[in-house]
Amino acid sequence: MHRNSLKATVALLLLSQTLRAQAPAGLAQERADFAHWLATAPNSPLIARAFVPVRPSVRIGPDDAEVPFPGVNVSITERSGAIALEGSLGQRALSRNRLVSIPPLNLMVSGLPGAAVAVIYGGRREEKVPTYYSFDPTLIFTGPMQAAAEPHGVRILTMDGLETDATEVGSVTIPDGGAPTRLRVYRITDPGSEESELAIYFRDGTSGSGSYPAGRFVTLQPVANGTFRIDFNRARNPFCAYSSAYPCPAPWPGNTLQSNIKAGEQYHGAGTSVPAP
Amino acid sequence: MGFAFFLGAVLVTGLNAQQPTGSYRGVLDLAGGPLRFSLTLNADTSSRICNGAGSCGRISPPRSVRDTLFIAIPDYAASIIAVSSGDSLLGFYRNVGNRGPRVIPFRASPGRWPIEPAPASLTGSWNATFTQDGRTSRRVFEFRNTSQGLEGTVISNTGDYGNFWGRAEADSFSIGHFDGSFVYMLTGRLDGDTLRGLFHAGLRTQTAWTAVRSRGEPWLKPPTELTTADTSEVFHFTFADPDGKIWTERDALFQGKVVLVDIFGSWCPTCHDAAPVLAALYDKYHSRGLEIVGLAYEVSGDPVVDSKQIRLYRQKFKIQFPLLLAGINDTEAAAATLPQLRGFVSFPTSIFLGRNGKIRLIHAGFYGPAMEVAHRRLIADFEKEIELLLNESH
Repeated sequence: MHRNSLKATVALLLLSQTLRAQAPAGLAQERADFAHWLATAPNSPLIARAFVPVRPSVRIGPDDAEVPFPGVNVSITERSGAIALEGSLGQRALSRNRLVSIPPLNLMVSGLPGAAVAVIYGGRREEKVPTYYSFDPTLIFTGPMQAAAEPHGVRILTMDGLETDATEVGSVTIPDGGAPTRLRVYRITDPGSEESELAIYFRDGTSGSGSYPAGRFVTLQPVANGTFRIDFNRARNPFCAYSSAYPCPAPWPGNTLQSNIKAGEQYHGAGTSVPAP
Repeated sequence: MGFAFFLGAVLVTGLNAQQPTGSYRGVLDLAGGPLRFSLTLNADTSSRICNGAGSCGRISPPRSVRDTLFIAIPDYAASIIAVSSGDSLLGFYRNVGNRGPRVIPFRASPGRWPIEPAPASLTGSWNATFTQDGRTSRRVFEFRNTSQGLEGTVISNTGDYGNFWGRAEADSFSIGHFDGSFVYMLTGRLDGDTLRGLFHAGLRTQTAWTAVRSRGEPWLKPPTELTTADTSEVFHFTFADPDGKIWTERDALFQGKVVLVDIFGSWCPTCHDAAPVLAALYDKYHSRGLEIVGLAYEVSGDPVVDSKQIRLYRQKFKIQFPLLLAGINDTEAAAATLPQLRGFVSFPTSIFLGRNGKIRLIHAGFYGPAMEVAHRRLIADFEKEIELLLNESH
């Protein structure tokens, strides 16, 4: 009897720990999708070789080129906002935000007019798999966004290192232990579509000791009637965490939580640990 | 790329005999609610995604391995992957995004959606104001009842977003457009004389709007004012056709003729709406001195692949006039190859040249048959312009 009840208690404890550790199905699926994308997408940061400003021209080719890449010899130029690719087959116009295959590499030109950036993908894929803190249901917050009195434009780097014109649209207040902290919310649009994200780039007590030192991104998910869900279990690293080819977004002013947000993506890179306070 | 590999593995493993076939009620679960569409699954090439009567897109026949179903949407390098749950399907729509995969929950069950038309208080034309982050922009909504229920279009300054289909219930409505790439939904309700609601784009973007009934006053910027051009000089172009023959405005064919230059892409659904209209205009006016030339901006950038697409496009619409390969499908690329245009914004764009070779009118975008009245008015406007130019002497 006694033995059985002990067994039951242990089983219950194990179960509750498993429940706590296991992400809900939707989140687990999102993470599996992202891992698959990192491992297979032709524009995955794990095969990013170079991230180079075009202005006004950049050459990818043999050793003396700005971007050394064996087996290729092309130039990318930007004139009056239009992108052209020149190679042995002549010149052709290139679209922004569209992956082009020039075997053995893939390349995509993105960025604002006059500030085009070429990202070159190819070669061996880094074998990195994102890791996450245990699922923590207490780090999911739902509430309204305090709209900015006058939304205004800000130039920021997106999670993939590209400069973009975002809009500061308001803020949300997070309990942050006992001292509520306001986090800025920017709207970041997806070029070429009507889609956009309301995003927060934040630092917290784990930044540099378990999570990425520069900060992590989390998005606002609309719930209903102007309220949003912020799920820190969905916090993601900027692409500079996967490849040193990418520039890292600077932390957004004021967006630092004092508490440890032990949820979402972790970082195990070298040289990022800081002494414990 | 990875998905193609995965499919290959599936093919080797062998296919399950129990392929789901027939009509399905499809749903994408957006943050703001369900986007309904119709899905037809067949073992042959007749599988389709539909948003209302006559607005369907082709998808690959489904392949299933054990209880997992794979549907490729080749036009957009996208796919639906689902598992069977009883006679229903549960899974995800996905395509390759730039900052991670673009994934939206998908479900479907056998059968057809009920036909739920809208009351007369909702149908017709509405002038809408979108508000996001304190900034406003204009759209026009057109709602109508068809044999499939409520259908409609959302029109911006540069054209429409394709056909929307859905339902109404009392004063509320919800219509959506999912073609394998674009994911749009419009939801709203009548509040007195004003419609209020949300425009949903993708999984999470929501834009609030209000709309009042149109009384015929101009609400959007006319398509002829969006793109301007240097009209003092002859319009220059030099491009090759799929057979490698170079064409320019200096060719004898175009001398002294009225020329309609159609900037299009075989990937562009609105261009497919415009192509039969242009072919008909050519038949009607060619003998009186109209020439049409299509400048294609294609997807791959590989002349072999792109030329094949242009040939297919020519066959599909039985086009008699030259189609030239001008570049890649991008408004910037088009602007770069046609430096005489300013403010190039839209595929398709129609440029009307007078008999002296100079630009007389530029019409950005095209109103497809989904927009009935505007579509007929546009054809009438094109014919009027062509008649006017044909009647001028060189």
